[in-house]
Amino acid sequence: MTTGIVFDIREFAVHDGPGIRTTVFLKGCPLHCSWCHNPEGQSSVPQVISGAGASRVAGVEYTAQALAAILNRQVAVLQANEGGVTFSGGEPLRQANFVAEVIDLLEEIHILLDTSGYGSESAMNLLLARVSMVFFDLKLIDREAHRHFTGCDNDCILRNLAVLGKSGVPFVVRVPLVPGVTDTDANLAAVAETVRGLTGLLRVDLLPYNKAAGGKYRAAGMEFKPCFDEARPLNINTGIFKKANLEVHVL
Amino acid sequence: MNERIGQMKARVRAGEHRALRRKITVDVLSECEEEGLSWPWRAARLIRRQCEAEQVVIDPREKIVFTRTLPAVIPPIYKPEDWARLTAGRTLHELGPISNICADWGLVLSQGLLGRKSAAMAALQRFAGDKAAVEFLECAVETIDAVLALAARYAVAARRMGRPDLADILERTPAHAPRSFHAALQALRLLHAVVWLGGHYHVGLGRLDQYLWPYLKADLDSGRLDVPAAEELLAEFFIALNKDSDLYPGVQQGDNGQTITLGGVTRAGRDAVNDLTHMVLRVSRDLAMIDPKINLRITPQTDLDLLGLAAELTRKGLGFPQYSNDEVVIPGLVAHGYSLEDARDYAVAACWEFLIPGRGMDVVNIGAVSLPFAVDAGIRGGLAAGAGFDAILKITADDIARQVKILAEAYAQLLLPPAPYYSVLMTGCIERGQDLAQGAVYNNFGIHGAGAANAADALAAVKRLVFDEQRIPPNELLAALDADYAGHAELRRLLADQAPKVGNNDDQADRYLTALFDFLADACEHYGRTNRGGILRPGTGSAMYYVWLVRGHPNMREPVVGATAEGRKKGEMLSANLAPAPGAGVRGPISALQSFAKINYRRVCNGGPITMELSDTVFRDPESIRKVAMLVRAFAQIGCQQLQLNSLNVATLRDAQAHPEQHKNLIVRVWGWSGYFCELGPEYQEHIVARHLYACES
Repeated sequence: MTTGIVFDIREFAVHDGPGIRTTVFLKGCPLHCSWCHNPEGQSSVPQVISGAGASRVAGVEYTAQALAAILNRQVAVLQANEGGVTFSGGEPLRQANFVAEVIDLLEEIHILLDTSGYGSESAMNLLLARVSMVFFDLKLIDREAHRHFTGCDNDCILRNLAVLGKSGVPFVVRVPLVPGVTDTDANLAAVAETVRGLTGLLRVDLLPYNKAAGGKYRAAGMEFKPCFDEARPLNINTGIFKKANLEVHVL
Repeated sequence: MNERIGQMKARVRAGEHRALRRKITVDVLSECEEEGLSWPWRAARLIRRQCEAEQVVIDPREKIVFTRTLPAVIPPIYKPEDWARLTAGRTLHELGPISNICADWGLVLSQGLLGRKSAAMAALQRFAGDKAAVEFLECAVETIDAVLALAARYAVAARRMGRPDLADILERTPAHAPRSFHAALQALRLLHAVVWLGGHYHVGLGRLDQYLWPYLKADLDSGRLDVPAAEELLAEFFIALNKDSDLYPGVQQGDNGQTITLGGVTRAGRDAVNDLTHMVLRVSRDLAMIDPKINLRITPQTDLDLLGLAAELTRKGLGFPQYSNDEVVIPGLVAHGYSLEDARDYAVAACWEFLIPGRGMDVVNIGAVSLPFAVDAGIRGGLAAGAGFDAILKITADDIARQVKILAEAYAQLLLPPAPYYSVLMTGCIERGQDLAQGAVYNNFGIHGAGAANAADALAAVKRLVFDEQRIPPNELLAALDADYAGHAELRRLLADQAPKVGNNDDQADRYLTALFDFLADACEHYGRTNRGGILRPGTGSAMYYVWLVRGHPNMREPVVGATAEGRKKGEMLSANLAPAPGAGVRGPISALQSFAKINYRRVCNGGPITMELSDTVFRDPESIRKVAMLVRAFAQIGCQQLQLNSLNVATLRDAQAHPEQHKNLIVRVWGWSGYFCELGPEYQEHIVARHLYACES
């Protein structure tokens, strides 16, 4: 029996894919992005989140059966409303076997994988065989910059993007716009160049940096040390994508 | 919203019209005493003198007139000592006068007041020998004449001021049936305002998109009016309803019962949605004022375009529309003795209570059963006696029955004062020769079952932690409750965190939610007929009881509960209406809807909405608004009864608490109605800020 660790299950997640969806946030992420707004998703062990006056534990271990049972109780509602289940994180590829087993136990429903792409090719393939759509986060194309801001290089991310592009699974590339880091014309042009021509690409979503990102760190007993200037105005240059004949949305 | 309407709204919000209010006292009492008038005649005389005392106000900028110039105080018609004698040993509902019902506006408009007068004359012939009937009918005619005289004064003034448009309308209506949408709105404005002048309150407007549609349709079909012009008239009517909020009695300002119920089906069961349904939603969205409060009747088949428009109104943060599911409400009403045709014709009273316009003299709110108190009695009684869990449920059920009986017995002595004018506006009072105070077609009472989620959570916690897992010894729980958890922090945390909670679609908690409402329904059924010939309707609302039941209120019949076994300390508020208990961990709206869908609504038909707050960030793009529409549809698909959906931004509310002067127009839903946040008492502000948000930001 496979178990997994989940830091949140959230219903009616309106920005996590089509229709009415429930999102499962898997705990544990290999990346440590400087701008991460879900810091409690980084560590793969449970941790205490202390809010004003109350505290809770983020990170509950589920068996695949138990998680699937919770989700199956609402599949009919999600199905009837053009939606489904999204697996996000953290990084779901890191618990690919668990996620795959949960999906196999679910009734027929639209599944969306929201991933940073960081994981093994076999993990990627394991899940691609089971999902209806992918949100693929693409942050920085420059290998060194990627290492600097996320703690990891992007070799396997770019490789998994290529795997995704060949899989035929429809996907959206999501670029978090972080001031002075990912929103530079050079990076956006490189993103456009990288994704252009990939089969299954529906569009590019640009996600402007939210200044509330740092809010959760203290509650999670962590320190927020952005190595960029939060106040710097964003460069939301959609023109680069339009010029490359790519559909682009700003969320 | 065009410039003229924008300015009109600004003037009303600024309270310019309040300068027209006169500081006078209309003396009705002296003549009542001198002439030795009976109670019905005094009530009729009150309407007569109030109408006469109104000064005509015709603002050249207004197309729909009537501005109240009389103060809030309704002149007394009895000396205090006589009033005390009349009402000795009797129960008055709230302030006394008939309130929180809905007239048959469609009937009155279509017949005109002269049509109602003819009906009264015919009835006078029929009831010639019946002294009481004759007196009632003569009083009814007296009030009709009083309103007609007021309309005539307005007509004369309009003519004199060079307003032939208005004069033409006022010379004809409300005496006769309106010949245009404009005239229908004008007639409704006047007829409705006079109800307030008679001391009645929570004056509902019912199914406005049904009874005004024939007038609008005729205008649109003939080309006399186009949609923008019609919407402008509607906007002006809505603004007028906001003029006197500060004069109306209510627990908090804004609680005034000026509700509209849209959509649904016709009495014959056909889809009732029409162009006016959409127009009301659009105008309400664009105006963003607290009145009128909008209810929308839907089914699982309601189209997403209409629900999307409604979601745009929700986005405004006014706390409406409130939704009710016809597939659940109508069978529930039928199961409680309403005819199918009447059930299909239901509207929503001041907050959420279902009632039939024109036919319902239901007193929909005679108080609340404190479900947390009953459960607390069960837990304490059962554990102290060393009894099993079934005994706890039995004591709980018995206490619910005890509380029901107290409320019902108090209302066995109900005294409704004569209401000759309101009777004119109802279906059949004139025809039966009987004042509304004697009853209408439906004469039921409504009782709220308040604090349901907290109460169910307490039972679930005790079942799991005391009985199943035996992690908490009974005497320790009793000691902790007695000590309000002082020195029992760990135990409290266990109860709060390690037990099933309502709102997660978890049968381990939800079974007690359904059981509690079944107990309430059993108790109401067991009580049987009241001496008004009606029944007790159990409901799922809480009204202000989510505060009162834990903090107390002067002269309240309901018991106050201390610390409870779901880990709630004394004085901490309960959930409002149907919502997970404050602080209970829940995953979001789908599971919450699924939890509350388990209630047996056939047996629980008084109304009381599932209350949900969505972060305002959910509404930022059209796609997400469509998803809100789907969520509302899901509410109906799952089989829930009623839903109140709010859009909230906690940061804005906090800022409004700190800087009220900068947030004068911030509107929030309170329990069954919407009001200006900064005009609410601090305890109500606090509850709104603390309400669980179904967070949707990832």
